[in-house]
Amino acid sequence: MVQYNFKKMTVVPSGKDFIDIILSRTQRQTPTVVHKGYAISRLRQFYMRKVKYTQQNFHEKLSTIIDEFPRLDDIHPFYGDLLHVLYNKDHYKLALGQINTARNLIGKISKDYVKLLKYGDSLYRCKCLKVAALGRMCTVIKRIGPSLAYLEQIRQHMARLPSIDPNTRTVLICGYPNVGKSSFINKITRADVDVQPYAFTTKSLFVGHTDYKYLRYQVIDTPGILDRPFEDRNIIEMCSITALAHLRAAVLFFLDISGSCGYSIAQQAALFHSIKSLFMNKPLIIVCNKTDLQPLEGISEEDKKLVTEMKAEAMKTVIGQGGEATNDEGVLLTMSTLTEEGVIAVKNAACERLLNQRVELKMKSKKINDCLNRFHVAMPKPRDNKERPPCIPQAVLEAKAKQAAEKEKRNTERDLENENGGAGVYSASLKKNYILANDEWKEDVMPEILDGHNIYDFVDPDILHRLEELEREEGHRQAEEGDDDFEMDGLELTPEEQKTLAEIRKKKSLLIQQHRIKKSTAESRPTVPRKFDKDRKFTTKRMGRQLSKLGLDPTKAINRARSRSVSTRGRKRERSLDRDDTDGGDAMDVDTPNKKQRMLSRSRSRSRSRPPTEVVPGEGFKDSAQKAKALQKANKSNKMRNKNARRGEADRVIPTLKPKHLFSGKRSIGKTQRR
Amino acid sequence: MATRLQFENSCEVGVFSKLTNAYCLVSIGGSENFYSTFEAELADVIPVVKTSIGGTRIIGRLCAGNKNGLLLPHTTTDQELQHLRNSLPDHVVVQRIEERLSALGNCIACNDHVALTHTDLDRETEEMIADVLGVEVFRQTIAGNILVGSYCAFTNRGGMVHPHTSVEDLDELSTLLQVPLVAGTVNRGSEVIAAGMTVNDWTAFCGSDTTATELSVIESVFKLREAQPSAIVDEMRKSLIDSYV
Repeated sequence: MVQYNFKKMTVVPSGKDFIDIILSRTQRQTPTVVHKGYAISRLRQFYMRKVKYTQQNFHEKLSTIIDEFPRLDDIHPFYGDLLHVLYNKDHYKLALGQINTARNLIGKISKDYVKLLKYGDSLYRCKCLKVAALGRMCTVIKRIGPSLAYLEQIRQHMARLPSIDPNTRTVLICGYPNVGKSSFINKITRADVDVQPYAFTTKSLFVGHTDYKYLRYQVIDTPGILDRPFEDRNIIEMCSITALAHLRAAVLFFLDISGSCGYSIAQQAALFHSIKSLFMNKPLIIVCNKTDLQPLEGISEEDKKLVTEMKAEAMKTVIGQGGEATNDEGVLLTMSTLTEEGVIAVKNAACERLLNQRVELKMKSKKINDCLNRFHVAMPKPRDNKERPPCIPQAVLEAKAKQAAEKEKRNTERDLENENGGAGVYSASLKKNYILANDEWKEDVMPEILDGHNIYDFVDPDILHRLEELEREEGHRQAEEGDDDFEMDGLELTPEEQKTLAEIRKKKSLLIQQHRIKKSTAESRPTVPRKFDKDRKFTTKRMGRQLSKLGLDPTKAINRARSRSVSTRGRKRERSLDRDDTDGGDAMDVDTPNKKQRMLSRSRSRSRSRPPTEVVPGEGFKDSAQKAKALQKANKSNKMRNKNARRGEADRVIPTLKPKHLFSGKRSIGKTQRR
Repeated sequence: MATRLQFENSCEVGVFSKLTNAYCLVSIGGSENFYSTFEAELADVIPVVKTSIGGTRIIGRLCAGNKNGLLLPHTTTDQELQHLRNSLPDHVVVQRIEERLSALGNCIACNDHVALTHTDLDRETEEMIADVLGVEVFRQTIAGNILVGSYCAFTNRGGMVHPHTSVEDLDELSTLLQVPLVAGTVNRGSEVIAAGMTVNDWTAFCGSDTTATELSVIESVFKLREAQPSAIVDEMRKSLIDSYV
């Protein structure tokens, strides 16, 4: 969609300002220091750059002016004609043409002088050429000074034009001066157009907006038109004519039937007939205004005839759009802007007819097919017999009923916020509206982590319920157990069976033992060499058993064997004495209940770690000295070598900050910026 | 009744709130304006709860629910879950589900009886939806979009879907959901319906960019304020044609 916004055009500077802007920019943005001792190519290049840079800036600035001013042939014909009426197309084009010529001239000057500069043989001559080039460019701009001033004026005027969208829904109000056009637009929109009791109060187009059936309509108030030949019309009237000619709008032709505007009905009818060609294909409504002074029924026969003639003419617009010719509603309407009688009816009729026309046009366009699905309401076909009722709480229905009467205002969070320091200061409690069994629980603090466990992993909404269930189940089971207590008892068996049972148990324990031996870990390392103990039968336990069979006390022998075993060094810590044995036991709990809780919530302590040199069974070291040696060797092999103290990338380096060869004396070739 | 509002200068109010027939979730903002708009309208009837989900404010896109239950993504923290359980009435089942697609609001659209879901949702999730929300579940797309939760909004009384949904699709979806449907936009032409509005059986909240035409379509199809869906084809037809074409 093309938007016509003339408010964003850049300011056109006057000729003098233009020159100042460009020259100061050249001065600021090109190098300024030059010495006559420089090589001649460098001198030439220095001045060429200045000339070219100035030309570029001129070109840029002038191009923006040419691009930003609308081309009258390219924009919507309404704006094209309006701008022509207001500013005169020829004058406008001429000004822009001059800007364009100036742009080309400056380009040519720059080209010429750059060429000449190539032959400059000294600093002085190069400088003179540059001065001449810039001077000529400035002269060109000075000459187009009047055009620039004119364009700036036009720009300012254009920025103040109402932003009319030529393609949207538009209602256009026209008629003789002083018939009440502006009063009407003030009634139906918020345009606030100046209304005065003399002709030509409105000197240009004014725009207001009004709503009808969810849509926004643009209402345009035009200056009054007099009935005279086209050529004699002044600029003010021509604005109206342009709008009438080019905007596809609903036209309201205002008729002052009281004649208080200074023109008789006959004169107004003559105007109507002279501009009726402009109403072609537009919904036209004849509005008889000022009925408070003179009702329509009260006018003379001749005037009545004129009005019916106009009505017949307006009816053609209805036929023209293919509607029913019989329907003469909304063609001739009466109203009084003073008493506001019929104002809304006029607005509605205009909007309705315009809408009908637009819809009819659009229905014929191809684009309608893309949108057809949006005018379709899919109603469900029943697919089963299930009822799917809406769920509206009773309170809503009641509130709706009550709303008609009166609804008391709720004290919302926003009110609280405003009372308590406003946004950013007030902080509402999230717990305020909790729905809990007991309101006092609302602000309870709940820890997130307890005993190293996430509390919420254990939260179960119906835990009490389940506990109860579990307890009931347990009660049942206990009752059952009392009934049939089943346990293998030696008493109920025959001696033979007892024997078999004993054998079974013995065998079982043997199997378990042997399995444990097979699974034996490093702790039960053999003292007997493996080759004599393939089945690992020689254990201290076995030794003990055998010794006791012989009637000897095996403890000493066993202890000795254990002390010689390799595994003693890596033997696990013996089970320590029970804590309950050391402290007072249950009696202490009574006095310090908190202590126990704290102990519960204390995180598990870490056991003491072994020194690295301690030999752990399975590692293959003879003793800790050997292990220490091995560790040292391993560390050494992992260590990064220092590469014989050569320079590495990790070393701190300060580079030479001022290399001598670049900072002393003059160089034949070299860069100035290094100094 | 439809209300126009903004969440901190954003018109995507459906992103920052979740409205059902039994509760309303609102995200925590810098001021109370957004919350209070809901509060003034709803707090007498249903709980309006300020919450975050997984530490974010885009709660409307992350959770799905109706009057029976609320499904939360696995990103929800324990504290948020507890806060919601505390704030919602007991008959609303709050359930956190382990679904790979964690933006449940974008993947699930539901009313109190039917739900449309993303086609790639897990089978367990589907069962969970049926159990917790008490709905029939259909795997569907809307106008070729798999994010059904974003491109449609429906209640027990009516629904609105993506503007490019064809007439046949509209009829099919309408039969599935058993509510009248219409293709439309919110927020001055936005296609993401559920992001631009949030609605239940008796009220709707739209982004403040929503035009008068859009708002009247919404009021008609959701049967708010005694309007009927048939109004869209009768009285509003001309206005719609003139604004769309």
